[in-house]
Amino acid sequence: MASVARRETSLGHDDERELVELARRGDRDAAGALLERHELPVFRICRRLLPRGEDVEGAVQETLLRALRSLPGFSGDGSFGAWLAAIAVNLCRDRLRRRRLVPFLALETPDEDATDPLDLVSSSEPAPDRVAMAREAVVALRREVARLPRRQQEVFALRFFAGLDLEAIAGALSVDVGTVKTHLHRAVHRVRAAVEEAKP
Amino acid sequence: MTIEHLRDEELDLALAGETLPAEAAQHLASCVACRRRRDAFLAAVEAAGAEPAEATRRRVREGALAAWGGSSRRHWLRWAAAAAVVVLALLPLLRRAPAPKLNPDAVLVQVDAILAQDPLAAVAPEDVVNTVAPIPATGGEGS
Repeated sequence: MASVARRETSLGHDDERELVELARRGDRDAAGALLERHELPVFRICRRLLPRGEDVEGAVQETLLRALRSLPGFSGDGSFGAWLAAIAVNLCRDRLRRRRLVPFLALETPDEDATDPLDLVSSSEPAPDRVAMAREAVVALRREVARLPRRQQEVFALRFFAGLDLEAIAGALSVDVGTVKTHLHRAVHRVRAAVEEAKP
Repeated sequence: MTIEHLRDEELDLALAGETLPAEAAQHLASCVACRRRRDAFLAAVEAAGAEPAEATRRRVREGALAAWGGSSRRHWLRWAAAAAVVVLALLPLLRRAPAPKLNPDAVLVQVDAILAQDPLAAVAPEDVVNTVAPIPATGGEGS
């Protein structure tokens, strides 16, 4: 719809609220614009919280669908992005619980058609030793995040892969900010140490 | 700038997005070595998050929107329309094959015959009847 396309040129909080309202009333274009703005963190969350081999795209799609179907229940008090992130985390939990899998991270890029960040590292860093170090750091980071306890893993993913602030994470996980800080601090400590160890 | 670098705990606080004590924050702002530690971690985080291709994003989004459209009122209208078409298509068949009419007199004759054979059949299942009033064995080993 042209109206939606026009709105997308300068979207702010008011625009987002308007998109949510339109989507609630069944406006498909508004819903599409809303998802387009917020789907990337959902990809990141699902990729980091689900184990290798799990259908990440399916999980993302289900998250988006759950959000669309739950729009009437979205209060609009918090941000739509944080609300969507909470749905993504809950869906990942459901999937892990259902399959009784211990979450672990893919050490290689899980999406066949996604850009491998390691390729970006190698193309922008001409020195082979630095490239190798950067690769080692990324692998170490992924491995260590995978080893974190579930709640620390969720907090870490929401902070660093979905870009949420502490309050938004607390809202998404229905815990207080102090709890988020505790988990995040422990997670960062472990992951940072692993990354620094990987870089001699 | 103070000579003492950030302790691990302070660096972790900074990475977690928490407010550092003023002195530590001032040090971080001016110390290349500490900033390098922080930036190296953030770079690894950034690199660890492989982004999905635009085509993938679009496909996933469109899939969700299509399924959502399917759950709205329009979806039910489509199902209702399809059901109406099926009913209309089956209507002539249903008319052509009327349900067999029962003859009440014949049914009563059958019921009378059953009750004459076994009066308890109308009130209890066969196994119960057999327990309460077992049918005596005819012929066989005992006689």
